[in-house]
Amino acid sequence: MSTAIVSRTQLLSRIAAALLGGYVLAWGFIALGVAAAFAAGMPFHDAEHLFSLLAFLLYLVTFLWSFAARDPRRVWLVLAGGGALMAVLASLIQHALV
Amino acid sequence: MPENVLLLAALLLSLIGLGWFALALDVHWKQACGKQARGVVSARGLRLSGGVALALALILCLQVDHPTMAALVWIMSLAGAALIVAFTLSWRPHWLALLAARPPRR
Amino acid sequence: MFQNFRLAMAWVHTWFGLFLGFVLMVVFFFGSLSVFDREIDRWAIPESRFEPQPMPSFDEILKPVFEDMQPSRESVDQMRSRVDGPMPEHFDTPVRWGAYTTHRDPVLGLFAGYQVPNANNPDELVWGTRTIDPRTGESLPDDQLKIGSRFFYPLHYSLNLHWKDLGYWIVGLAALIMLVALVTGVIMHRKLFRELFTFRPKKSNQRSILDLHNLTGVVALPFHFMFAFTGLVIFAGIYFPVTHTQLEPLHDLHEVVESQETGLPHERSGVAAPIASVDAMVAEAQRRWAARDMAGDVGFLALQHVGDANGYVSIYRAGTDRIALTGEGIHFKASTGEVLREDPPPSTVERIDEFLTGLHLQHFRHWLLRWLYVLGGLTGCACIATGFLFFVEKRKRQHAKRGQIGSRVVDALAVTTVTGMLIATLGILIANRLLPVNLPARGDWEQYCFWGVWGLAMAHAFWRTAPVALGKLAPAWREQCWAIAVLAVVAVVLNWVTTGDHLLKTLSAGYWPVAGVDLFMLVSALVAVFTARRLQRRPRPQSADGSELSGEAAHA
Repeated sequence: MSTAIVSRTQLLSRIAAALLGGYVLAWGFIALGVAAAFAAGMPFHDAEHLFSLLAFLLYLVTFLWSFAARDPRRVWLVLAGGGALMAVLASLIQHALV
Repeated sequence: MPENVLLLAALLLSLIGLGWFALALDVHWKQACGKQARGVVSARGLRLSGGVALALALILCLQVDHPTMAALVWIMSLAGAALIVAFTLSWRPHWLALLAARPPRR
Repeated sequence: MFQNFRLAMAWVHTWFGLFLGFVLMVVFFFGSLSVFDREIDRWAIPESRFEPQPMPSFDEILKPVFEDMQPSRESVDQMRSRVDGPMPEHFDTPVRWGAYTTHRDPVLGLFAGYQVPNANNPDELVWGTRTIDPRTGESLPDDQLKIGSRFFYPLHYSLNLHWKDLGYWIVGLAALIMLVALVTGVIMHRKLFRELFTFRPKKSNQRSILDLHNLTGVVALPFHFMFAFTGLVIFAGIYFPVTHTQLEPLHDLHEVVESQETGLPHERSGVAAPIASVDAMVAEAQRRWAARDMAGDVGFLALQHVGDANGYVSIYRAGTDRIALTGEGIHFKASTGEVLREDPPPSTVERIDEFLTGLHLQHFRHWLLRWLYVLGGLTGCACIATGFLFFVEKRKRQHAKRGQIGSRVVDALAVTTVTGMLIATLGILIANRLLPVNLPARGDWEQYCFWGVWGLAMAHAFWRTAPVALGKLAPAWREQCWAIAVLAVVAVVLNWVTTGDHLLKTLSAGYWPVAGVDLFMLVSALVAVFTARRLQRRPRPQSADGSELSGEAAHA
């Protein structure tokens, strides 16, 4: 019985990681991509289009990885942690530009 | 030539091409032609002619439309042709013997 | 948690596919209908059954109509809470006028945005719309529901659920899951190429359903993937509003730079100025397009800062001859007609983006490709529907033994979203022909009929799927197929009775928009009858253990 409960929470955690963690990572990816590319001289709308295009593919890959990966804690660390880190970097770049 | 004729020819070519691809698979060859041996027509030959037919279909599409549009017409025509080939194999498999220039299986 | 990679992917495919499949079914079906949204509009609004028209003369036809327009009551009411003081009776300062047409539109849609005195946010406008006959400038009643372009089409991308944009988010999630289901499906399907053409209707139900699921999924794989993906790309700004939240300052910085570069005035000058001949500007725009070897018609025409010295006219080309949504916009000073700016050729990224969005939004003139899109969309519907059926077939006997109702509920929901959705679609078309012409808020009633009929179909589906709980086939499928057949014929007959446009007449006149809708419904009726009769036959004996199924099916 207890294993069933453990695996149910584990499953919920993976679903949440796939949906929310993946979203955070994709967000951070777009933010950092747009800020960095704009800083490097790419036209703003080009950067916006390019990185949101790639972000959806990234979201797809991380979604699948959330279920395929062995350790769900690592999934959370990479997705939420990586997303937050990239978002912070994006804000720093913006701060330097504006 | 009028565009509609070219497009129709392209559709037919993708149908024939995919039909040849299907016949290159043993299981479909048996469905269409029964136990008759392939003889001179090897599986590779069928695949090759199938590829040529599909390439010709693409060229015809490119004659009619802007390349971006032609590519989409071609890809979508392949989807339609694959469905037709699959349904032919389910209900009237011996019709495909026509493409192998063989009498249908009996 | 999962024994191996393949099992993990199979779990994702089954469960996410099941839950979002119901949404995907709606998205794929109404997406397919939206390919012919303008044609469905013709069917639903008999007054607009004439040939598509080019953009009419602005100076003679459009200008007097625009000058006569006022914002709609709803728009004014919505704005009321964000204004200090009372709303004016008459709005005198139009900020923007626009007219948009395609090669499939006989009638022309106009919109106008007006400044609101004392608004909290001076950039916020109130809007009015109007539909005219472009040959005469005469207004058509604007309260008729354009069922194709204003009901089926938004249903496709927003489920018509506008509260906090919830519908967009649900559809977006469904599109992501579509991509996920395609990738996981390819991983699960071991014999992708060897079984590409395989459909074995004579084998067990479960086997032939899985064959059909694989076949429809694989042959149109590029279509399914591209449409789910480009659908997400089109609404990227809604799903990831990064540049309007976190990076807003960067966005504003760029806007200032951009408006300096384009030279198009961002604000009114406050000095009144008349409008020069817009027809002359259109002629000049067409001359410049022709010089670039892309002669074309006007698709979109807009005036900004109307009646002001800073006013300008933007003229965009209708993109009928290529996939990419290219505007080739040329902007003129409204008071003099001098060219202010020609939009530069798109960058590589813009080209890719325009191709992807244009591929999905299809403004091109290519009837074969339109029909192939419908085929692709319906193939997607077949793929999703057979997915549901396989889910039920695989589990229903086991569930029956254990007294569980899971497969019965799934089957009932599948009936609701497959046949029930078709019944609802025919329901709104029938309501459109039956409701009295001068009924107030007629369009709203048509929509209530749609949802009401769908609700009834759902109730019927839950009632008549009881045998599934005993491991048998649900009669609901067969009965709803008969309902589709009857309703489709009724809709065609009602079109004849209420408008006189029967098939012989529309076909001999070559009026394809209406003939096509009628024919499509008749073909659907035939397919429904065929399906109902197949379902009526005694079910084939099933292999008890499903041993002929490959490993792939065993853990799907």
